[in-house]
Amino acid sequence: MNPDLIILFIVIPMATGLTTLALRGHVVLQRIVGTTSLVANLLLALACLVYSYKTDTILVTQMGDWPAPFGISIVFDALSGMVLVAGAMVSLACYIHSFSTLEPDVERGFFHPLWHLVMFGIQLSFITGDLFNLFVAFEIMLMASYALLTLGATRKQMTQSYKYVMLNLLASGIFVLCAGLIYGMTGTLNYADLARIVAQARLVDGSPLPVGFNAVAVLLLLVFGCKAAIFPLWFWLPDTYYTCSVSIAALFSGMLTKVGVYAIARLYPMIFAADLVTDPLGSGQSFVQASDGVLAGGVTQNLLLIAAAFTMFLGVLGAVSMHNIRRILAIHVISQVGYMIFGIALLTHGGVRGCMIYMVQHMVVKSSLFLCCGVVEKHRKTDDLDKLGGMVKKTPWLATLFFVAAMSLVGLPPLSGFFGKYVVIKEGFLTGYWWLAVFALMTGLLTLLSMLKIFCYCFWYPSAEAEPATVIATAPRPRVASAYVGIILLVASALFIGFGAEVVNGYADRAADIATNPRHYVTAVLGEEAWLHIENADTTEIAHSTEVTP
Amino acid sequence: MTLLLAICVAVIFGVSIYLMLSRELKAVAMGVFLFSHAAHMSILSMSRSPIIATGIKTPPILVGHGEQLANRPPVDPLPQALILTSIVISFAVMAFLLTLLVLTQRRAGTLEVDLLAKEQLP
Repeated sequence: MNPDLIILFIVIPMATGLTTLALRGHVVLQRIVGTTSLVANLLLALACLVYSYKTDTILVTQMGDWPAPFGISIVFDALSGMVLVAGAMVSLACYIHSFSTLEPDVERGFFHPLWHLVMFGIQLSFITGDLFNLFVAFEIMLMASYALLTLGATRKQMTQSYKYVMLNLLASGIFVLCAGLIYGMTGTLNYADLARIVAQARLVDGSPLPVGFNAVAVLLLLVFGCKAAIFPLWFWLPDTYYTCSVSIAALFSGMLTKVGVYAIARLYPMIFAADLVTDPLGSGQSFVQASDGVLAGGVTQNLLLIAAAFTMFLGVLGAVSMHNIRRILAIHVISQVGYMIFGIALLTHGGVRGCMIYMVQHMVVKSSLFLCCGVVEKHRKTDDLDKLGGMVKKTPWLATLFFVAAMSLVGLPPLSGFFGKYVVIKEGFLTGYWWLAVFALMTGLLTLLSMLKIFCYCFWYPSAEAEPATVIATAPRPRVASAYVGIILLVASALFIGFGAEVVNGYADRAADIATNPRHYVTAVLGEEAWLHIENADTTEIAHSTEVTP
Repeated sequence: MTLLLAICVAVIFGVSIYLMLSRELKAVAMGVFLFSHAAHMSILSMSRSPIIATGIKTPPILVGHGEQLANRPPVDPLPQALILTSIVISFAVMAFLLTLLVLTQRRAGTLEVDLLAKEQLP
C-alpha cells in the first residue's frame, strides 16, 4: 500500500464538504454524496488499519516531500488508526440517523458541509504528526463545531453556546502560546523530533531539557483538558450537548472529547511525560511500584491522576442527579473520559492499552445511546424521564438496542465496556494506584444505576401520564427507519468489540507499544539513524532510567 | 528589545485577563482576542536559536552549493510563519464570535452573563 494514500483522510472530507456546499438546496443529492464519502472513508480507514497491523508498519507521508523535521508529517499508526476507524463508523451512523431526526430547516441550512468539515478537522488532528498542524486541525474542527452547535440559532442555543465558544477560544490562545514556547525551547514541532530530543535528554551526556518544558506540558494539558472535558474544565459540556440537534450531539459526544483524549494519549507518554513512563519497552518487565505515598509520579502524572479521579466520580454523580435522558448521557461522557485519562495517567503499556480499548468502545456506545434518545424524542417529543414510560411495548426493538448499548457502557462482562475497564483497573492495582482503581469501581456501580434509571423510567415502567390508548394508536408513527439503521450499525460494532475483544486487544496492544515506546514512531518518521544514534550513545542508560524514576 | 517585547506581552496578557473576568460578553470577547495577540507577540521572541541546540543551531534555511550564509545568521522565519497562520485563524474566529454575539443579543436581548445564566435548562 502506498503510504501517500493516507492523505485521503484529509482530502475526502474536505472535498465532500465543498461539494455539498455547492449542492446547497439539493438535500437528496447532498445526502447521497455525503453517505458515499463517509462509507469510502470508513473502508479506507479499515484497510489502512489492517494493513499497518498485519505488516507491522507505520504509514508516513511528508507533505510537499520536505524531509521530516522541516515539513509536516502525516502519520497513520495503530493508535490513530483505531480512533479513525471508530470515528468513521460513528460519523457514518450519526449521519444516516440525522436523515430522519434532523429538523428540515436545519438540514437545509449548512448542515451537510459543516458535518464534513468537522470530520476534516477531527481526522486531520488524528493523523497529523506536527504540533502546530494539530492546532490548525483543532481550529478547523472547532470552527465547524461552533457553527453546527448554533445551527438554527434558537434562543436556547444562543444563551448556552457562548460557554463552549469562549472556553475553546481561550484554549486556542494557550495552544498557540505553548506551540511557540516549545519551538523556542527545542527548535522543532514535529512529534517524532520532539520524542527524539526528549529521549536524548535522558542520556547522561545529553543536554537536559529546559526547566520550562514541564510547565509547558502542564499548560498544554489545560488545552487538551478543555477539549476532553476533564475535571475542572467540563462545565461547558452538559449544556452544550443539550441544546443542539440530537444527531449532532451524538457525533460530538462520540468524537469531540475523544480528540482531546487522543492528543493526551499521543503526546504525554511519548513526549511530555516520557521520563515517567514505566516499563517503556512493554515487554513484561517488572513494573516500578509507586509505593511511596499515594502520589509518587512527576507533576504532569499527578495532575492527570487527580483529574482522572475527579472526572470519573463527579461526572457520574452528576449523571445520577439528572432527570433528562440527554443530560444524563451528556454528563456521562465526562465520567467516561475519566476512565481514559486514568489509563493514560498510569503511563504504562497496559494503561494505554486499556485506554485505547475503552476509548474505541466508548465512541461507538455513547453515540448509539444518544441516537436511541433521538428516536425516543421523535416519538414522544420530550426526553424528560418524568413524562416518559411504557416505551418497551411501543418500540420493543429500540428498548433492546438501548439495553445492549447501556449494558456495554456499564461494562457487563460479555459486552464491550468490560474489557477496557478490566485492563485499566487491573493496571491501576498493579502499579500501586489502588485508590484510583477503587474510584473507578465505584463509578462503574453508579453508571449502572444511572443507566437503569433511564431504562426503567423511559422503557420499562408504565407511562407516567395516563395517555388514552386511542391517542397513541391514531398518532402517526414517526418515520424513523434511517434512525434505526444508524443505531443498529453502532450497536453491531459495540457487540463486535465485545465478542471480538481479542482482535481489538491486539490492535490496542500495538497502539500502546507505539505510544509508550518512542522508538517505533521516531524510526518511522525520521528514519533509522535518528534513533540508532540515541541507542548507540548509551544503550544501558535508557534501560536503567526506568529504575531511577521516583 | 526582548525585554521591551516581554513587558508588552505581560501588559497585554494582564489587560486581556482583566477583560475576560468581566460579566459582559463583549468585553470577554475582546479579552479573548487580546489573549491571542499576546500569544502571537510572545512567539515572535522565539526567532532566536533554541535553548537546547540539538543539531539545529541555525534556522533551517537551505543555502545554494558553494554559497554561505552571511556572518550573522538570519532570524529564524518559522515563528513568523506560525504567527501569520494563527493571525489568519484568529481573524476568522473573531468574525464568527462577533456574529454569534449579535445573534445572542437579538435572541436573548442581553449580553450580560448573569442574565443569560438565568435561562435555566431542565
